[in-house]
Amino acid sequence: MSATGDAASDAGRVSMRGIVKRHGALTVLHGIDLDIEPGEFFALLGPSGSGKTTTLRILAGLESLSGGRVLLDGRDVTDREPGERDVAMVFQSYALYPHMTVFDNIAFPLRMVATPATGIDRAVREAAALVHIDHLLSRRPGQLSGGQQQRTALARAIVRKPRLFLLDEPLSNLDAKLRLETRVELRKLQRALGVTTVYVTHDQEEAMTIADRVAVFMEGRIAQIGRPQDIFAKPSSAVVAAFLGSPPMNLLPAEVRAGTLRVAGVDLRVDRALGADGNVTLGVRPAALRIAPAGMPARVYLIEDLGDTTIVDLDVAGHIVKLRTEARPNVREGDNVHVAFASHACHLFERDSGARRGD
Amino acid sequence: MSDRRERRFALLLFAPALLALIVTTTAPLVYLAWTSLMRIDLSMPFLSGFAGTDNYAKMGGDPRFWNSLGLTVVYTATTVVLQVALGLSLALMVLRIPRGQAALRIAAILPIVLAPVVVGLFWRTLVLAPDVGLVDVVTRALGLGSHNWLGDPRLALISVIAIHTWQWTPFAFLVLLASLSSLPPDVFEAARIDRASAWQRFRHITLPLIRPAIVIVVIMRTMIALSAFAAIFAATGGGPGTATEILNLYAYRTSFTELNLGYGASLAIVLLAITLGVSYVMFRVRTKRVVA
Amino acid sequence: MLLVAVAALLLVVWAFPVIWALLTSFKTERDVLAYPPTVIFEPTLANYRDVLFGSASILPNLLSSTIVAGASTSLTLLFAVPAAYALARLDLPAKRASGFYVLATQMLPPVGLIIPYYLVLQKVGALDTYTGLIVIYLTFSLPFAIWLMVSYFEDIPREMEEAALLDRAGRLRALWYVILPQVRGGIAVTTIFVFLNAWNEFLFAVVIGGNRVRPVTVAMFNFISVEQTLWAKLAAGAMLAMAPVILLGLIAQRHIVKGLTVGAVKGAAR
Repeated sequence: MSATGDAASDAGRVSMRGIVKRHGALTVLHGIDLDIEPGEFFALLGPSGSGKTTTLRILAGLESLSGGRVLLDGRDVTDREPGERDVAMVFQSYALYPHMTVFDNIAFPLRMVATPATGIDRAVREAAALVHIDHLLSRRPGQLSGGQQQRTALARAIVRKPRLFLLDEPLSNLDAKLRLETRVELRKLQRALGVTTVYVTHDQEEAMTIADRVAVFMEGRIAQIGRPQDIFAKPSSAVVAAFLGSPPMNLLPAEVRAGTLRVAGVDLRVDRALGADGNVTLGVRPAALRIAPAGMPARVYLIEDLGDTTIVDLDVAGHIVKLRTEARPNVREGDNVHVAFASHACHLFERDSGARRGD
Repeated sequence: MSDRRERRFALLLFAPALLALIVTTTAPLVYLAWTSLMRIDLSMPFLSGFAGTDNYAKMGGDPRFWNSLGLTVVYTATTVVLQVALGLSLALMVLRIPRGQAALRIAAILPIVLAPVVVGLFWRTLVLAPDVGLVDVVTRALGLGSHNWLGDPRLALISVIAIHTWQWTPFAFLVLLASLSSLPPDVFEAARIDRASAWQRFRHITLPLIRPAIVIVVIMRTMIALSAFAAIFAATGGGPGTATEILNLYAYRTSFTELNLGYGASLAIVLLAITLGVSYVMFRVRTKRVVA
Repeated sequence: MLLVAVAALLLVVWAFPVIWALLTSFKTERDVLAYPPTVIFEPTLANYRDVLFGSASILPNLLSSTIVAGASTSLTLLFAVPAAYALARLDLPAKRASGFYVLATQMLPPVGLIIPYYLVLQKVGALDTYTGLIVIYLTFSLPFAIWLMVSYFEDIPREMEEAALLDRAGRLRALWYVILPQVRGGIAVTTIFVFLNAWNEFLFAVVIGGNRVRPVTVAMFNFISVEQTLWAKLAAGAMLAMAPVILLGLIAQRHIVKGLTVGAVKGAAR
């Protein structure tokens, strides 16, 4: 990570140990362990209700925990108030103070710690300039567009030069195009500031493109932590595999028997270690499938022409499987074809536990 | 993050009000209950002393008590029903003339902001006075003759009901108008496409949707009607005789006109019990239906 | 159209009494008793002069009302706003029970409270004093004000306090700088209602008050027994007595309507 010369870039090491959260009889988090390096852009990814936002709020000090410890820069902050952790947060709804101008919104955290007025003015204008809202300082949140509100919330977080940024689905209220643009800007901003950032999202494409490392949450547990490309290449379980990718990975029930892989009623000879005999789930990415003379029998169900790519929905032994290609395949709906894949491009998971099998 | 500091802060903020409430409501209530067990006769002090449940026993055989109870029921039920029926009808009619609504809101505000005692006095003098009051002028012009609206025992109750209804119907009107205005139009459009008549739309869509507002209005107005005092007191004083003496007024007169505070206190306790009972029933009805 | 006719009728029925009282207050007593009632007449200010500067002037009563209503309103808000915040937004211990208690205290019939008030204040020698009256006015103002303010506090998004806490404001400053400015409208509405109720209060005033503390509502009541048929004077007195609340009602009518409906509709949604 490139340092900006700011003292803050050396700080911001996060450690969460055995975080458990219960809500009455319901356990929301089953023991979360995380380590985040200073300056890292770390994403908490998962479907709704998986516990990622709860984890973020526990990190912020906004939510109590039923067990475990939170450490910031080696110090135990589990019992510290949110205001005492030197953490800044951008809420999903932005939580801007509607009765204050943009300037006052951004200045608020500085005023709360009795920063001298000249210092405030300079810091606010600096932060506003970084997110390109310096021309909106005298407006109220109600007069701003969604994107501008989001930048104001960002500026309010940046201005404090905290040691940790927490972002709770900051892009989910923006329209699709704005989301893509803002995503890139966020990443560049973070690199420039070098502040450790924890980012919650349910959009796997978002997490994959901007994060240094991702923690995939499933039902209150971390299913996998790693760099986006590593998780993508080697998902640790069928659930994680199904969550990533667009369209997501195809999963088919299969069986390993005597060195061959039996799927969709045919035996496939696959040139890789298959492991012990038993029921498995076969995972193949849409981009790894192709229509071939031999392979799994399939019937073309639907063809989605997206312009530069085509997605072919195929019925393979009762399961809908998606194939993605850039060339337009020479098939029509209703045709009977075969689909095949390269040996190294398939993933195997235990059928019952979903755990990854093999390498 | 909820913790000791937050809880302490919350208690700090709540404590003054809690203390004030206990001092001004709960403690007096206890004292009231105690008083109801006493015989306090300010006109004959030498008879004062502990009386146990004598007061309550006496109540059972007191015809004036039963009279006041009956009047309370009639008064409360009639005014609330009238307020809701009139308020709803008027709101429904006014809905379709958006431009008149501003002027109507101002007109509706006037009865509500006036002091009930002034309203009572006003009706007693300018409206209901025999010969020169507004109502008499109208009835005379219509050939129905002149009547003693407040002095005739048969008419007095009707008159005070009219006064109360006049003053508080605007409240029901405004609340129901707001509720009706907030209903989403597409539900009605869907119903029209489904060929529902105006009455059917009202019965099956409008009414259920504004039910919560109606319930709240009923609850609030019932509470007010049970403790209505000033208007009746100003208009008739509870009379003629006991023709408009609802339980409220009976308790007052017993305590402060006849100076029999012990008995008055017991009457007040009964009124309190009735009020609590009615509100309990109403809240149960409300929450029960909401869950269903 | 029929609807317009109905609307006009409503307007008349509801607004007319006040207008008629206004007219009457400018008539001579003889004009008042004329039949058929006169709409065109020679206006006179004699009634107002009598009522304000005559022997039974209501000026001291207006002053009384102002002091009692003003002070009890201020006191009520001082207690109610923080209490409502604690109830609505903080982790108040025994919150459900407390909320229920506040609701229950609203159900008490006033006649049940004046009896003990009378006895206690008499013993303490606080009958016919401003302090006594102002404090007992809290009885009906406080629960109502708390209940109203709770609904206004609940309207604010939950994240407001969280954002402020993260910005190192602490709970008290979060309340002062971030939350309270957002419920300014609600505080205004609550103030209006509490003041209205206090100004118009009769029962407490007539029992606990006396010669020294006599709000206009009591003065008006006494009018009718003393000045039996001096209705023009009564009308003038009533207009003056009700002037503040009528003015408040006209100026703040949007607020009032919103307050009525917010309280009712919110209560329904709960």
